[in-house]
Amino acid sequence: MKMQQEVKSMDRRTFLKVSGAVGLGVAAGGFGVPRLLRAEPEPVKIGSVQPVTGPLAVIGQGQRRGNQVAVDYINSKGGIKSLGGAKLELILGDSESKPEVGRSEADRVIQEGAVSLIGAFQSGVAMAIATLAEQRRIPFLMDVAALDAITQKGYKYTFRIFPTVTDFGQGSVNFVRQILDETGAKPKRAVVTNTGDPFGKGQGGNFIQFFEKSGIPVEIVEHITYPLGIHDLSAEVAKIKAAKPDLLFPVCRPGDSIILTRELYKQKVPLMGVISPGSPGWYEPKVIQDLGKLVYYVMDNVPWVYPQSEAYKEANLKFSEMHPGSYLDTNSGFAYTGILVLADALERAGSTETEKLLEALKTTDFKDHPMVGDAIKFKDNGDNANATTAMVQVLPDPDPDKRVKVVLPKKFAEAEYVFPAPQLWERG
Amino acid sequence: MNSDLAVQLFIQGILMGGIYGLIALGLSLIFGVMGVINFAHGPMMVMGMYISYWIFVLLGIDPYVSLLLVAAAIFVLGYVIQSSVVNRILDYPEAMQVLPLVAMGLVLENMALLLWGPDHRSPDTALSLKTIWIGSAVIDVSRLMAFGLSAVITLLIILFLKKTHTGKCIRAAADNRTGSILVGINVNRINNLSFGLGAATTGAAGALLLPLMPLSPHLGHDFTLTAFIVVILGGLGSLMGAMVGGLVLGVAESMATLFLPATLKQVVSFGILIVIMLFRPQGIFGGKK
Repeated sequence: MKMQQEVKSMDRRTFLKVSGAVGLGVAAGGFGVPRLLRAEPEPVKIGSVQPVTGPLAVIGQGQRRGNQVAVDYINSKGGIKSLGGAKLELILGDSESKPEVGRSEADRVIQEGAVSLIGAFQSGVAMAIATLAEQRRIPFLMDVAALDAITQKGYKYTFRIFPTVTDFGQGSVNFVRQILDETGAKPKRAVVTNTGDPFGKGQGGNFIQFFEKSGIPVEIVEHITYPLGIHDLSAEVAKIKAAKPDLLFPVCRPGDSIILTRELYKQKVPLMGVISPGSPGWYEPKVIQDLGKLVYYVMDNVPWVYPQSEAYKEANLKFSEMHPGSYLDTNSGFAYTGILVLADALERAGSTETEKLLEALKTTDFKDHPMVGDAIKFKDNGDNANATTAMVQVLPDPDPDKRVKVVLPKKFAEAEYVFPAPQLWERG
Repeated sequence: MNSDLAVQLFIQGILMGGIYGLIALGLSLIFGVMGVINFAHGPMMVMGMYISYWIFVLLGIDPYVSLLLVAAAIFVLGYVIQSSVVNRILDYPEAMQVLPLVAMGLVLENMALLLWGPDHRSPDTALSLKTIWIGSAVIDVSRLMAFGLSAVITLLIILFLKKTHTGKCIRAAADNRTGSILVGINVNRINNLSFGLGAATTGAAGALLLPLMPLSPHLGHDFTLTAFIVVILGGLGSLMGAMVGGLVLGVAESMATLFLPATLKQVVSFGILIVIMLFRPQGIFGGKK
């Protein structure tokens, strides 16, 4: 007994000594690091301005994570080799979901030495930053932002890898036509809903324009706009029900999509299907989890990740390792891709000088990305010539993380789509 | 436009109005007694929602059951805020009273962001998807529960203030602070109690709202504003006024969707506010000052 106790106490002492020594070592090592770093080239700073707080915080944090995971990835592969292995460094900005704040945050990160900007998720914020980027002569890469107008002002420093609202409109109309042709379903009436922010209005209004021009024999009988961050949609859903639609085309954000779906269930609105012309709110892990069966069969026309690609598998593994419970979706996927595109341009430019970086960006031909679509190439106005959307559908699967599946185009599809969908209250 | 839709919107407006009333009740009580406007009111409600959410997710207890627990927790929060912050600023100019409470709201909001993250959470509670059908009109059970319980809580608070000794002390302190001190009422304690009580009602409202709307840290400020409009509508400091004001605002917002796009909902609430300020600045139930 005694022996054992002695051994025990000895152990504790040894432990203390060892841990003390380790602690000292770590501390010393910590102090030593900056000296070692001096031999390395200066890090290349990229300013990331995303809506990390405010009504879009869920998405904004995903965006920031997408940017950060890609930066870590580039650094783990040895940084920018043509710059002597310079590491990338993300300077973080928070737009608070407001254009004026986004602009001042962008200004701040430029002053802190950013050689390029990435952001901003919201078109309104992106517009404000694009103007600033033009004034300050700093390349601005929009990872996500869809409003066409941003790239129609002849700006030289603005690039976009995300599809424009026009791409969305064209994509959704084509997919709807394909689904109706293939299934022989004959819906007659449809309702379009959207949030009242620039994206929602642009996306909703644009979809209606494309849809009415397309000659698809479905009449849009009601168009409902409601404010971003609304808490109650019972009145709006009562209005939807009164319009007796067969199809619902909602442009949502996470939050209102949940209220909308539950309210459709409660008020028993019969529908052949819910097809979003392209919006968040239908594929986020929390939404899928909280809505359960009610969100099944919702289709969403979004630029999406290409799950079969190696680039996706690698990126998603890193992303979900660093942020358990989340996966790379359309937005964080583009946030990730945006950094890769900037790193590729820096690599080819071999310099952080604006003019060289700009030239390199213009000649981008980037294939190795994790999204649905061909190589990223920029048109003269800065838009991605090969930007495209996919139709995804939430399909039953015991694992909530695997419910969102690409169903169209067939070339990229993981599963067959289900249309018409069973009614919300007939799902057991 | 059809009559079914109008009936539906009216029902929904009344039910939502009940909850607005309960949220505003706390604000009105706090203003009535202390004369400060609780700008942390909405964020306190959100705290109530999170506590209720926690209890539901971790222990599986329904928000309607945990209601008292949530109210008690937010009572403590209110009591502490009053005794540590608000009691010190009661004699300051109004502009200076605003700042600590706005700051408190920001602290609570960001605390929620830190603790629970930015996700919209909307757990599937037992009643959250239940409905009752009367002809072609649908009544949302969780909304009806919220309305009913709001009415009961309001009634209890009014009875408490009218019938109990502590309630009478609170009314006395609201009526004349110096006078109450003179007759030996511990006004600081009464203040703490009143703020706690006001906070508890908004916490309870939070629990009642949990089955109705997705919870996120930034939800609060809109409700501070709504409660503020309701209180002005009903009369500052009047508890019946808060309830009636809530109903009026709920119905007005809901019915407005018949004629106006939903984006103009807030125009309706603020429009009502402006009209009231112009023609009856003391509110529906407010006495002349």
